[in-house]
Amino acid sequence: MARLQRLARFPLGFVLPAVLVLAAIVAFPTVYLLYLSVRHWVIIEPLRYFDGLGNYVRVLRSPDFWNSARVTAFYIVATSLATLVLGMGLALSLNRSFFLRGVVRALVVLPLLVPPIVSGFAWKFLLNREIGVLGSYILPALGVKASLLADPNLALFSVVIADMWSRTSFMFLILIAALQSIPGELYEAARIDGASMVQEFRHITLPLLVPAIIIGLIFRSIEAVNTFDLIYVMTQGGPGTATMTLSIYGWKVAFTSFDIGRGAAIAVMMLVATVIGTTVLIRRIRR
Amino acid sequence: MKRLKWGNVLVTAYLAVYLLFVLFPIVWLVLGSLKSRYEALLVPPKLIFRPTLLAFDKILSGGLLHVFGNSLTIGLSNVVLAMLLGIPAAYGLSRMRGSARNNISFWILSIRMAPAFGLVIPIYALMRGLHLLDTLPAVIVAHLTINLPLAVWLLLSYFDELPEDMEEAALIDGASRLQTLTRVILPLSGPMLVAVGLLVFVFSWNEFLFAFILTSSRAQTVPALIASLAGTMNFDWPLMSAISVAALVPAFVVVFFAQRSITEGLTMGAIK
Repeated sequence: MARLQRLARFPLGFVLPAVLVLAAIVAFPTVYLLYLSVRHWVIIEPLRYFDGLGNYVRVLRSPDFWNSARVTAFYIVATSLATLVLGMGLALSLNRSFFLRGVVRALVVLPLLVPPIVSGFAWKFLLNREIGVLGSYILPALGVKASLLADPNLALFSVVIADMWSRTSFMFLILIAALQSIPGELYEAARIDGASMVQEFRHITLPLLVPAIIIGLIFRSIEAVNTFDLIYVMTQGGPGTATMTLSIYGWKVAFTSFDIGRGAAIAVMMLVATVIGTTVLIRRIRR
Repeated sequence: MKRLKWGNVLVTAYLAVYLLFVLFPIVWLVLGSLKSRYEALLVPPKLIFRPTLLAFDKILSGGLLHVFGNSLTIGLSNVVLAMLLGIPAAYGLSRMRGSARNNISFWILSIRMAPAFGLVIPIYALMRGLHLLDTLPAVIVAHLTINLPLAVWLLLSYFDELPEDMEEAALIDGASRLQTLTRVILPLSGPMLVAVGLLVFVFSWNEFLFAFILTSSRAQTVPALIASLAGTMNFDWPLMSAISVAALVPAFVVVFFAQRSITEGLTMGAIK
């Protein structure tokens, strides 16, 4: 009985330091963000005052905000689907043993650990119209004369490619973990029944992968909303506003126009959207 | 038999193309870092050239080494702090019962999922008020907002799976909870601690947004340096490539020496 009491009592002292630190560095700043979002505060101006929902109204009235929302939506869908398809191919390919499988797997995982700023820089270097080996030499030889990063229609596409390079491994890791938990007997039974490879994939693999796919898509979408480094180093949101996702737009407002209040309002809206999105999807998985 | 053959051809072709896609930018970066500024600008590019370490020499002589020192300090401080706070918290949560445990661990998970952009503005404003902009502690604290939840979450699911028999034996013998943790639990957790430490370090080393917003020169990190050079008009491609190649070192070390443990960590964090 004494032991049970000790078991029940002890852990708070262990847990408390981390909880207090997180309260100070995460919970408090989040509340402070809400406060900042209802304040008028432009760093280069002396005046600060309570502004109610003024920042939110200004953000929602700005065409740049809606453009960024559209770019972000496109970015989320394009990068989630692209990494899903590529990652699925990788997971299916590597879910069998072959010579050098360990090395191949390591190389496939590598981009996930590369600093995204380096991934972005590497692709900028490759695609540069003047000196990049792809942009100035290989692509023009293939008939693509436009400058990928300077063309408003192609810049977003270029960033999506760099994102695919950087984040497909994440999808791969989630999918291969799920694939390896599918019992082999299911395939044996299907084979005895004469199922083709396509039928096996369609009727066994895919249905059992659905939860992992949904989890992967949630995480990828959150990542896509957050992506800043890759886009910043490649295009800084340009040309014009072609690759201006919400995080780049929020950064521009808060740190190049120095409008902290309006930047905070954008951040709050992004936070709310992410929280709603994840809660809805997590509920769906649990059901 | 036939299905296997076609499957193999398809798989091999797919993997070959994908590996080319993965390796090409990295190989090009390495080649670029070994060229002179003039050679880097040639079109068509020269594949055969006399490699030079001039760009790497510029990192040493150009006073850029302190940036690598900053990244290293911030990364190692995060490993120490995340462990110091995360290990007891994860162990405590793991042995707690009831709704408090679930509420706290769910809260910690939700931090991991929250967009970093939501935190960067208030943390910037707070650090500005505290006159801590462009200092290492500012970046260390900012990185801890992601790394501490990550460490707690990974360690929690690991401790949950450790059998409780040995612990109970130690407790009955009169060991305190702290002694049980340091003498029974931690010796069983070596590989997991290494994996979590590596993940925390790599996250810190790679992180850009916080480092970029919170620093300008003295406390600048490697990713922030690359971005600031990429934003100048007069590109020094070999120098930027050399810094990027140096920034890749932790990724290579981790992927080839600890891939198994760290990828388990990565997926566990995602799937749980």
